[in-house]
Amino acid sequence: MTLKTPNFTGWRAVVLSEADGNTDRLRRQLGLLGVSVAVQWTPLSAADLPDLVLIDADRGWDELLPFSDAAPACPVVALLGSEAPGRIAWALRHGAGAIIPKPVSAATVYPALVLAVSLHEERLEARRRIAHLEERLKLRPLVFAAVKRLAAERHIDEERAYAILRDCAMRRRLPIEQLAAFFLGGSESLREVG
Amino acid sequence: MVDRVKIGILYSTTGPYGSMGRDAREGAEFAFHDYRQRGGERIEPAYFDPRADLAAYLEGARSLIRDQGCRHIIGTITSTARKEVIPLVEKHDGLLWYMCPYEGFEANENVIYIGGCPNQHLIPLFDYLLPRHGARPYLVGANYVWGWEMNRLARELIHNAGGTVLGERYLPLEETAVERIVADIAEKRPSFVLNNLVGPSSYAFLAAMRALGARDPAFLPENCPVASCDLQECELSDIGAGVATGQLCAASYFDTLDTAGNHAFKARLKDWSGGERIVSSLFASAYTAVSLCIAAIEAAGSDAPERVRAEVLARDWPSLFGDMRVDAATNHAALPFLLGRINERHGFDVIASAPALAADPYLTGATTRPAPRLRIVS
Repeated sequence: MTLKTPNFTGWRAVVLSEADGNTDRLRRQLGLLGVSVAVQWTPLSAADLPDLVLIDADRGWDELLPFSDAAPACPVVALLGSEAPGRIAWALRHGAGAIIPKPVSAATVYPALVLAVSLHEERLEARRRIAHLEERLKLRPLVFAAVKRLAAERHIDEERAYAILRDCAMRRRLPIEQLAAFFLGGSESLREVG
Repeated sequence: MVDRVKIGILYSTTGPYGSMGRDAREGAEFAFHDYRQRGGERIEPAYFDPRADLAAYLEGARSLIRDQGCRHIIGTITSTARKEVIPLVEKHDGLLWYMCPYEGFEANENVIYIGGCPNQHLIPLFDYLLPRHGARPYLVGANYVWGWEMNRLARELIHNAGGTVLGERYLPLEETAVERIVADIAEKRPSFVLNNLVGPSSYAFLAAMRALGARDPAFLPENCPVASCDLQECELSDIGAGVATGQLCAASYFDTLDTAGNHAFKARLKDWSGGERIVSSLFASAYTAVSLCIAAIEAAGSDAPERVRAEVLARDWPSLFGDMRVDAATNHAALPFLLGRINERHGFDVIASAPALAADPYLTGATTRPAPRLRIVS
């Protein structure tokens, strides 16, 4: 697999920090990656989320970010000078995917961005997958009921009935749960298989 | 007026890349000679030779900064050594002048970069190679960040071009057992080879490829060239007469460069070294770095790094590479692209060129102009 060179050109970042030498260096380094930067030390609006948030985790408070519980709406990078476990935990709780140590040095910015953005994408993908699997899990009793009924109707064992449902779902390109629901509702006769 | 000022020169003259370090150091020495010839006497060099010991780079930089009072250090060849020195230079708010081609993905305020990064060497090299030889290369490299990252990018470029990388192998700097790699190349039959090996392993590899070409004409340089972005004139004598003839290298300077500036430079150099001397791009780059540093210190009237940097960024500087502009956002110099083919005289014939291209160290594409069409010279 080819790892594509990460490219942040055209991205919008908000640095939640008081303006100081660190934010100057962040501005420069992000600027040359093609990222536009706003620095503010007031809460971020949920209505106007940037592509990326960098937050002063030494002094940050909960209301700065319109999200928490490690379910960030965009990638978060923590700016951290402190080694206090409480501040590290605060950064984690707000979804930080990477840390840029303070004082900010140039070489730490790009790797932190790549890390935080990749982790954010992975998390989104994992969340999507979990939601999908939960949905399927919820519908599992339907599959069980459909197997029972199909086995009874056609005088076959449950294993065979399940195979029929699965093959048919694959052919229709449907999740097996959905096909089972159609079958139980009478709109799917499973005529061509079995 | 400038008080007495020392510029640190930090090159290893021994070890696996010793011939490169010696050439770079001589380039620096010649720049100081030029400066004294012009009547300059306030700015002096302070040399430190880390002898290819990584820990000694930090020691050397510390000694140059603390004991010698240098606020500018010209030096390091490898990225590993550069990364070792940068934190100290940052801490003392000095300037490191780095002048080797490197793999990019760095833009430090305390570094002036006048070697090229991949959009200035590898990408135009592939623009030349792919249409002529096909997108089925074999990648070899030194087993550290230069080799890894250059080959990663090569892989991405090949992928984008719809091609296939037929193999990718690495060797430590001093490893010369290249037989298995060359046997693999003979079997896979790539359309060209990208060589990011450094030093003795590169020389052994070129010799083995020469032998392979002698057995099977499909591997002669005209059919399956070995191309690199860092091979130097000063290395060709280590490689051996005729061994690498016909192979390709991308650079921003070759000894054979046919410009008035280069002819004058070579004439002055001949007087200094007491005879004809072949100039590598490392020699030329170290010379340029030192000359630019001296000129900017004089223009600033001080060696205070922030003032020197401001001077460097403020204008175009005449140099061996043409008028040199250093970009204020990236601290990188715009550089011309030259493609050289190794000739029988320990030199390169320039076979293609492109005018100075701004560096795009993070390959954002935003700072690069559309690639200029290569001018094919021969």
